[in-house]
Amino acid sequence: MIYDLQQALKRLLGKDIAGRDFAIYPDDTFIVSYPRSGNTWTRFLVANLLHPEEEVSFASIERQVPDSEAQSRAQLRRVPRPRFIKSHQYFHPRYRKVVYIVRDPRDVALSYYDFQRKYRHIEDAYPLASFIGDFVAGRMISASWGTWRENVGSWISARDGCGDFLLLRYEDMLADTLNQTTRLAGFLGLRPSEAVLQRAIERSAANHMRELEGTQGQQWVSTKGKRTDIPFVREATSGGWKTKLPKNSIAEIESAWGSLMSALGYELVTNPEVDPIGGPSVKSSLKALASTPGTFVSEPR
Amino acid sequence: MINRLIAGSKRAFGWHRPGRNLVVLPDDIFLVSYPKSGNTWTRFLVANLVYPAKHPDFSNLNELIPDPEALSQRHLLSLPRPRILKSHQYFDPRYRQIIYVVRDPRDVVLSQYHFHRKRRLVEDNYPIGQFVTRFIAGDTSIYGSWAENVGSWLATRYGRPEFLLLRYEDMIADTPAELLKVASFLRLSTDSSRIAQSVEQSSANRMRELESKQVGQWSSTKDTRRDVPFVRSAKAGGWKSDLPTASVVEMEGAWGSLMKWLGYELASNPAEGGMSGQLQVSVLEDSLLGERIS
Repeated sequence: MIYDLQQALKRLLGKDIAGRDFAIYPDDTFIVSYPRSGNTWTRFLVANLLHPEEEVSFASIERQVPDSEAQSRAQLRRVPRPRFIKSHQYFHPRYRKVVYIVRDPRDVALSYYDFQRKYRHIEDAYPLASFIGDFVAGRMISASWGTWRENVGSWISARDGCGDFLLLRYEDMLADTLNQTTRLAGFLGLRPSEAVLQRAIERSAANHMRELEGTQGQQWVSTKGKRTDIPFVREATSGGWKTKLPKNSIAEIESAWGSLMSALGYELVTNPEVDPIGGPSVKSSLKALASTPGTFVSEPR
Repeated sequence: MINRLIAGSKRAFGWHRPGRNLVVLPDDIFLVSYPKSGNTWTRFLVANLVYPAKHPDFSNLNELIPDPEALSQRHLLSLPRPRILKSHQYFDPRYRQIIYVVRDPRDVVLSQYHFHRKRRLVEDNYPIGQFVTRFIAGDTSIYGSWAENVGSWLATRYGRPEFLLLRYEDMIADTPAELLKVASFLRLSTDSSRIAQSVEQSSANRMRELESKQVGQWSSTKDTRRDVPFVRSAKAGGWKSDLPTASVVEMEGAWGSLMKWLGYELASNPAEGGMSGQLQVSVLEDSLLGERIS
């Protein structure tokens, strides 16, 4: 009750974290992704493209491309328009203009594991394989963002093909940063010169971001007070899962989300015998649903 | 400021109607659809199936299959569990067990047009063509556009055992067979006389009769125009005669691939996929495991 009243008071004063629902303007642009999918890199690119004359760093990024998961409603209200807002939310119909970054979930899982240790959400001794189980089933502290499939699937199914939705693959951004940054700039309605583009890419490069993290890590809202022995800017590569993720964990992710992964061009390495979406019983249930009226869709209790 | 103060105190005491901010319990079951897609009919069917002794009608429907837009958070938390809740929400990761009812959007838009007239949100002479354009843009509902709502659920949950997809058109064509799926999904008795009785108690005629007697007792019809009914035609395919060709083309151009995927035959020949992207189509097709619904 006291807690409820506290929350209500915070809400009244606009001091609560903006999160999913806050006052949205028609000219807002959202930089959205599931966590650990290249969002901060993209934020740096966007900030550098928008403000070529400014220094973009962890000390300035919350002002230039604010994080709705870290800033209060009142703070977001004060950001000059048009706003460019970072988010990890699954599909929201009121977010009109959206850059969505997607990354191979096998790499996301590895990165998330380190991140959860950095945040002290899990112990170092917590087995990676158990974490993958949590990751696939949505049993994490960040469950409100949905699972990887739910987050990615909800956005793509609702918005892919719309003029105000730009889908970026993290792997494409790594392989051809110039090309993908040009796409990003075009989507934001910017026409940067070659020099501005190159500078934006350099100022957002993993090495530069690592340097900044080293000096500003305790200033930035997302890394302040977290473990310093695990970096926020990690490998910034793709395919780490091939050597670091246990075979069983790879199979677990692919059997849960294989079809969405294939649709996004992420090649599967296991050939799961179980159904690619929901587990062994689904396919037969579906057949029952599709063809034989009156048979059980799920097992009777 | 005063309004926010009132809203804030209501929230603190649980007196607000939570809508999307509902406190979700792990054993909740959700009856979800886009508005005007057969949700109330399904509520009647399910209420009659689960609580036959309560003689479900418009006066107690909100107690039996509660609506988080109509009851307070506190009231909702006091209901016996497991709760079966009504919802029009687009995807919410907290909802675990879901019955999702989908209806041909060409019929949905007509029904919503009349419902907006009933609620005095549009005038009688408001051009239907203009309404369809706003409907496609998602401007006529707080629950996203039809394709956003339907697509967000299908891409995230279709194929899982806790997700049952029903088509309104199949329910019209063979109500007992579809209700049997619901009974199995809810792990209830599939006794055919109980099914038949639920179907009878939820017929459009009976619902119309109840509506005329109880219009002021139900949150969704109270304070709306009496000359426009809530229970309307209760049939499929009305769009063929009532929706202008240009509007049909417009909608199929926007959502053709999703409609086809759901088994709704297109009347026009839209450019491949229309607005929908290639990826959207393949995400949906992969979710379906290569099997069509119809």
